[in-house]
Amino acid sequence: MTNSMNNLELVKKVVTEAVPVLKIEEVDKQQLAFEIDKRDVHHVLTVLKTSGWKQLSYMSAVDWIDENKFELVYLVFNWEVPVYVQVRAKIDRVNPEMDSILPIFPGVKYYEREAHEFFGIAFPGNPDYHKQLILEEWDDIPPLRKDFDPEAYSDRKFPKREYPADFSVVDPKNKSIEKRKERKARANALRTGGKEQ
Amino acid sequence: MLSTKFTPATKLSKAEIDRKWWEIGDFFRRNSLWLLMYCTGCCAIELPPAMTSAYDMERLGMGPMATPRQADILLVSGYLSLKTLRRLIYTYEQMSEPRYVVALGSCPINGGIYHDSHAVINQLDQYIPVDVYVAGCMPNTEAVMNGFVDLMDQIKHKTANGWKKYHANFEWYKENQRNSLGEVDVHDEFHE
Ligand code: SF4
Repeated sequence: MTNSMNNLELVKKVVTEAVPVLKIEEVDKQQLAFEIDKRDVHHVLTVLKTSGWKQLSYMSAVDWIDENKFELVYLVFNWEVPVYVQVRAKIDRVNPEMDSILPIFPGVKYYEREAHEFFGIAFPGNPDYHKQLILEEWDDIPPLRKDFDPEAYSDRKFPKREYPADFSVVDPKNKSIEKRKERKARANALRTGGKEQ
Repeated sequence: MLSTKFTPATKLSKAEIDRKWWEIGDFFRRNSLWLLMYCTGCCAIELPPAMTSAYDMERLGMGPMATPRQADILLVSGYLSLKTLRRLIYTYEQMSEPRYVVALGSCPINGGIYHDSHAVINQLDQYIPVDVYVAGCMPNTEAVMNGFVDLMDQIKHKTANGWKKYHANFEWYKENQRNSLGEVDVHDEFHE
């Protein structure tokens, strides 16, 4: 068996020979991330699948709101070579769209539905991508976008419990905090023989 | 002189007789409570010790029940997302009466650590009536057992009236459910 270093080299070779890679990140000893162009995703996933990375472990998105981009992350796994491969590709944040990889990994069906539900990304090629999966009767912008404010949504939709009295422990009029500080200072003085405060 | 032993209870009105029967019924009910465990949140982890030899809720006459139609208590253990709340209301309305609701943890009380989440409701008693809340995140198993004993006391003193409140304020509950959930009925591809 080859050791983990050689495994990483093997993956790098497989991927860089297939497509132009924008950035390589070694996440850890068992995980490599490749940033590529969105048009190369299908090709690189096909190459990886034929070279043994035949299990799609996860697919999700990241919202880079400052760059105005979504980043799709595909995570594939090989049962012979213990290296996870992340394939990352950035897509536009306005009218986000990415061709489905359903023909390559059929299991992506539900991940794409999830990504559509939580980020609003369209996946043409997946016949069901627009159907609801986890959220039901959602009536706002997709909730995992960074410009969605969950607290405002919660305040608007869900009644909050109102307490007749304030039971919080910290009371500005109560001097117990001062007393605690004094106690600590004294304990510290005793411990250090009065040298330091 | 007439024997008092067989005197018919003519002086009691229908309502009084009903009340007596309810008292008798409550006596047996509170000593034989069947739980429907709706283990939605992390508080459910307190149930294995409560059920097994550590605390053994069977000594209180309690046991798990498989279907809502035969259960007395709906046990909500922890946070409720909108999706689970729909199913919970569905389940609650299926239960036969009298039915009681016990809610574990701070999540059903005021949202707990999920108070600002887009998916989790903050206050369960806005949607269905709750008889006993057990506070804590998560509550100790002693507290859970204590909650069950509290419920028994409430049944004994006729204060476990959540299910009656649900009938009396049905419209209010329904309106709250609609406001938070939009549509209360479950519609998904597995139900159609
Ligand atoms: S109260 Fe705490 S332990 Fe219980 S469901 Fe909420 S977060 Fe989990």
